[in-house]
Amino acid sequence: MAEEITETQFISLPPSRKADWTKAIKAKIYPLKPGPVLIDSADWQLGYREIKRLKSILENSGLRLICLNSDLPETLVSASALGIQTHLNITNTINSSMQNTPKTINERNSQKIFFQKGTLRSGETLEVQGDVLLLGDVNPGAHISASGHVMVWGRLRGVAHAGKEGNKQATITALQLRPLQLRISEVIARGPEEKPEEGLAEEASLEKGIIVIKPASIRAFADE
Amino acid sequence: MATNTRIILICSGKGGVGKTTLTANLGIALAREGTKTVVLDADFGLRNLDLLLGLENRIIYTAQEVLEETCRLDQALVKHKQEPNLALLPAGNPRMLDWLKPDDMQRIVKMLENDFEYVLIDCPAGVEEGFKNAVSATKEAIVVTNPEVSAVRDADRVIGLLNTNGVKPVQLVLNRVRPKMIANQEMLSVEDVTDILALPLLGLVLEDEEVIVSTNRGEPLTLSNVNSPASICYSNIAKRLKGEDIPLIDPAKSGSSLKNKFMRLMQTKIF
Ligand SMILES: Nc1ncnc2c1ncn2[C@@H]1O[C@H](COP(=O)(O)OP(=O)(O)OP(=O)(O)O)[C@@H](O)[C@H]1O
Ligand SMILES: [Mg+2]
Repeated sequence: MAEEITETQFISLPPSRKADWTKAIKAKIYPLKPGPVLIDSADWQLGYREIKRLKSILENSGLRLICLNSDLPETLVSASALGIQTHLNITNTINSSMQNTPKTINERNSQKIFFQKGTLRSGETLEVQGDVLLLGDVNPGAHISASGHVMVWGRLRGVAHAGKEGNKQATITALQLRPLQLRISEVIARGPEEKPEEGLAEEASLEKGIIVIKPASIRAFADE
Repeated sequence: MATNTRIILICSGKGGVGKTTLTANLGIALAREGTKTVVLDADFGLRNLDLLLGLENRIIYTAQEVLEETCRLDQALVKHKQEPNLALLPAGNPRMLDWLKPDDMQRIVKMLENDFEYVLIDCPAGVEEGFKNAVSATKEAIVVTNPEVSAVRDADRVIGLLNTNGVKPVQLVLNRVRPKMIANQEMLSVEDVTDILALPLLGLVLEDEEVIVSTNRGEPLTLSNVNSPASICYSNIAKRLKGEDIPLIDPAKSGSSLKNKFMRLMQTKIF
């Protein structure tokens, strides 16, 4: 008996224009056969909860999400938190070199998000006003800091400081959160020793004056 | 004149990890394959490449006189006795450090490009002036490190600096590997190191007492003791550098009866 071979199907969502994404998705998957699927979510801003919903919509049609492409790092970080493979659609607004100064990709409530691609190696420092998103690793001996949130789409193994001007709501998120040291506002903690669980993004935040680490939520990326 | 000469900086950040030993042995191994190779001592402060190659007593002029134009390049180059394809350009005296500039390094390397296929530059430890001068003159680099946290940390720093200076490709040599210690988890594994440094691994060099013996004798291992474990590693690195496809084996993944397996691997020249 011949084994059935299913090829990965690809769907690409239209630009968001603030429409209802569930309708767009349902229209797109209607003609698909059950099997693996790759979705390009364009500029749709999907949080943790939306992506969970997306997965269940797909599963109801027998579709398995194998990779999510997006223009937005925020969407990708949420998806990565759910263990989904992700891919950033690189556009010319995004710089891909450590040598250049960080560029602003999003301005929201006057809080800027700086985006940078590349690995921070030992001795290198990235210091940002606003939130920072690094696509790459922070190696031991490297420092990343921000007055707002620190988000690392990669492995955080150096030192991270969020809310360095005193913001106690600031968080530190990474696909692998195994820093040497974490700082939020003035609170300092040494990184955890145990090996991280595969594919689960983690988030450090301040609770009652202590730094705690939990599976990543969408808090850091939600519209405030 | 545009040449295809490969100019390779051998650097590490941390001192004493095996840069000079690698430079000398690669030089011999490449020359033995018929490749015209020159090794350049850029460690003006603590020169000892000449010593390792056993050429100390043959030095008449150095890079310093070449730069000052008091001698010609070919007068300063010291040809190796047994491997005539290998030459050494000795470092000048330590005071050269005070005036040597990136421009000077570039000038020297330009001159060497005309006559050699490989220029290997033995870099001083650290990331200061001496390192910066050497980086300015190179195209590629080999980063040498040991399976130790501090050496890896310094290597990472150096790789960052090489990247920002546009040096490409940068490859990794892991020196002083002790399979038994790795198996007992007393030493960083190959994977631990490449996981952080994220560089293509050009080769491993096993810890080998013969390296020390040969150093003291002024005869690189690749010259005097071709069958010792480290010597085989050096020759394989030279071959990979030239593009030969010689597979690498991770000592951590070579199973239980490590010692036997290692002996076998060594015989089949995999490192
Ligand atoms: N694979 C090896 N096995 C055993 N000993 C080794 C090995 N490689 C290097 N060594 C020893 O380590 C010491 C340092 O080596 P070497 O001088 O090549 O390092 P280096 O990086 O050039 O040092 P420096 O930074 O001072 O220039 C020497 O005594 C050498 O014999
Ligand atoms: Mg040396």
